[in-house]
Amino acid sequence: MAFLALQLLIKRAFLAVPILLCVSALVFLILRLLPADPIAMSVPPGATQADYDMLRISFGLDRSLPEQYLIWLGKLLHGDFGGSIFFRRPVMELISKALPATLELVSFGFMLGVVIGIAGGLGMFMLRGRWGEQVLDGSTTVMMAIPEFLWAILLILFLGVLVPVFPFIGRLAPDLTLPPAATGFLLVDAALSLRFDLLMSVLAHMALPALALAIGIAPLLMRVLRSSLLETIHEDYVTQARLRGTSETRIVIRHAFPNAALPTLSLIGVQGGFMFGGTVLVEMIFAYPGLGNLMIDAVRNHDLPVIQAVALIYCILVLGINAVVDVIYLAVNPRLRLKGRAA
Amino acid sequence: MIALSPRAKAAWQRCLASPRVVAGAGLIVMLIVVAILAPWLAPHDPQEQELLSILLPPFWMPDADPAYPLGTDTLGRCILSRLIYGTRIALYVAGLAASGAMLVGTVLAIVAGYFGGKIDWLISRAVDIWMAFPPVVLALILLVGLGAGVNKVILAIVLIDWTRFCRVIRSEVLVTMTLDYIPAARILGFSHSQIMLKEILPAVTPLIITVLSIEMGIAVIVEAIMSFVGMSVESNVAAWGVMIADARTTMHQSPLSVVFPIAAIFLTVLAFNLLGDGLRRALDGRLVQRNG
Repeated sequence: MAFLALQLLIKRAFLAVPILLCVSALVFLILRLLPADPIAMSVPPGATQADYDMLRISFGLDRSLPEQYLIWLGKLLHGDFGGSIFFRRPVMELISKALPATLELVSFGFMLGVVIGIAGGLGMFMLRGRWGEQVLDGSTTVMMAIPEFLWAILLILFLGVLVPVFPFIGRLAPDLTLPPAATGFLLVDAALSLRFDLLMSVLAHMALPALALAIGIAPLLMRVLRSSLLETIHEDYVTQARLRGTSETRIVIRHAFPNAALPTLSLIGVQGGFMFGGTVLVEMIFAYPGLGNLMIDAVRNHDLPVIQAVALIYCILVLGINAVVDVIYLAVNPRLRLKGRAA
Repeated sequence: MIALSPRAKAAWQRCLASPRVVAGAGLIVMLIVVAILAPWLAPHDPQEQELLSILLPPFWMPDADPAYPLGTDTLGRCILSRLIYGTRIALYVAGLAASGAMLVGTVLAIVAGYFGGKIDWLISRAVDIWMAFPPVVLALILLVGLGAGVNKVILAIVLIDWTRFCRVIRSEVLVTMTLDYIPAARILGFSHSQIMLKEILPAVTPLIITVLSIEMGIAVIVEAIMSFVGMSVESNVAAWGVMIADARTTMHQSPLSVVFPIAAIFLTVLAFNLLGDGLRRALDGRLVQRNG
């Protein structure tokens, strides 16, 4: 089993290389269509032509396109993303600060979304035929018709402004200071330094953005889980269990759910990839200092090195999630495992 | 009027019997009417600023001015009028972007599924590469490259979301290819383009219509996102995303002004989702019948 999983991961990694090469070339090419001049936008007002030329050369913008691409790619392979035109700092530094923030937010939002999705799906199934199902079904329709970034604004309005329960700016209350030896994952940092005030503040700041992201994935999970559960209900093992006098709750938890979980699981994977897209706007709205916020800042300032790097990181994250989901899928679906052994 | 085959007629009747389809289509018709009649429906010019009456509340609140039923924004512009004109932008983008994505995606899907082999491999790998991007990220990159503007947003949506049509329709084409009438048509001497247009396209049309409806809702959302971050229309144009961005800065003083454009987006996306969902259920029956 572990061998199969490893085999699959290696295969996926090999497949990811050409995809990432194409992705990087595509991003590079699209950004070079840019009608505006990023250097002109970033030079101070009193700059001379010589200053301008020097900057152009220092960012390598005087060379031909394929040359620029190969130079960028070559540096990339050494872990060098170049320098930000707007922030005047290494892109690597910007990303290493933003990435943990985004990963933390996505993990929290993802868990929240999965919990809501599974609870809602089970709830819809158990309440089938009653008005409660209609209410939950209606709520999925509403959740699906409002995108994450609008949920973010609505949550700020209702739980931040009208009834001020949660903070909605940044990752941490401004009067708290970060512990030293930071990993960048504030929850981990706070827990390691046993600072519970810090931990609570971080959690409170993550609550609304994570909920906005969770609402983005929960309704589809609810629907798919409900319909897979409805399919299992006609299976013999459910009838058998019912004849044995097993309680309805136990039938759902012990018999129907494990068999219905597979389609939901593969959907969870797909949605996990989508969630990274959702973070872009949600982070911007909550002024949450992650990759999405960095991306929006870079886009607004035509900071090409940052845009290229962040886009590539997003693609790596999506491909990574897809590979992990495949492995989990293999682990829980015995039929696939048998197929792998036969092949 | 084209004569419908009995099967198409039955599918049409099933669609009309679906409450989702009727509700979704009804809402969409209503939105189209609002968009067309905007100059007559809107009480004010959407750009007109009345700096003496800024941030007025909607009509049911105290201090409201009946001339501005939903109140005014920070520049004293009529929120209701801006909402009404915003419908035009939303539907314009939804119609053009979704149709463009449909055209590109469907052509590539049918070509890939019909010819198979290297062409199929190439198109499928392109889809794989596109799928590695979160769509918002790709949209932002494209708009940096193409420059901002509402027509650039449409182009970006076409360039991104053709994959949605391509993936779904390609697998449907593959199913169709296994049916007997395709080789039969070949034997009868039909050309490739005849088979693709007259045999395969009609078979996948119900699916195309369903995806098209869903894609229109997505296009409305993407336009709202892009005008929210200032990459779509000019910042003074009445688009829902622009209104949300404006109202967000005054959420403390007038909390409701952010709710109206959100509600407008919600209604529009809901309409397209209901229509798409209803069509899928109604037309799926046709698939079941055909395969069974």
